[in-house]
Amino acid sequence: MKIVGVAACTAGIAHTYIAAEKLRKGAEARGHEIHIETQGTIGSENELTSEQIAEADLVILATDIKINGEERFKGKKIVRVKTATVIKSPVQFMEKVEKSLANV
Amino acid sequence: MQMEQIINESLIDLNLEVTTKDEAIRALTALLYQEGNVSDPDLFIRDVYRREAEGQTGLGNHIAIPHGKSDAVKITSIAVGRTKHDLAWESLDEKPVHFVILFAVRNVDKTTVHLKLLSQVATALADDETLENLLFTNNKKEIIQLLSHQMK
Repeated sequence: MKIVGVAACTAGIAHTYIAAEKLRKGAEARGHEIHIETQGTIGSENELTSEQIAEADLVILATDIKINGEERFKGKKIVRVKTATVIKSPVQFMEKVEKSLANV
Repeated sequence: MQMEQIINESLIDLNLEVTTKDEAIRALTALLYQEGNVSDPDLFIRDVYRREAEGQTGLGNHIAIPHGKSDAVKITSIAVGRTKHDLAWESLDEKPVHFVILFAVRNVDKTTVHLKLLSQVATALADDETLENLLFTNNKKEIIQLLSHQMK
């Protein structure tokens, strides 16, 4: 699958970046292509391009707070998850997402 | 970007004699105070606990990352401590904590350089092998290197 996502935690200092990297590792371990934008105290980094969003089969929002620019994903399949879940078990999380999509 | 801007060997203690989470936070705050990175330890610790109240900072694998964004912080930086004692800590896998990275963040920073370095440290912590090495190495230089994950 092609996946885009956003990671954002409450303080925007640490968990955002750990979650983003874990998501990247988890998705790649499962053979997916993934682009993750981080929204933290520094602001947005690795901002998703409209092309990446258009091409994506799935949007993962690993967020503990409201993010900026959620309207960019309107009409797309969105999975919402807390940063803690992807930090704890990124690969299992990806497997669960795959299963839920297969069942639709 | 140079990791030395946010951590040096004086901010690392690999033999912390602490037995509780509170003692660990106080000991690492003392390091930051000695280095002049934090001006008011009590105020800083209060702000660390304010963040603690918002959600667990134990990452699992015996590692915790408490952080405080505070007026008491003069230089955005981190202090690192390891202890052989089991510290009870709110954690994703409920295992005791042995390795603590305390993030001290200025309320207002003129540039984002230090914050970017902090995010680099956080990214490094997404790697299980890095976490394992942090728990075992006795070389402070290696600790700094392990935390200096290069962004892809």
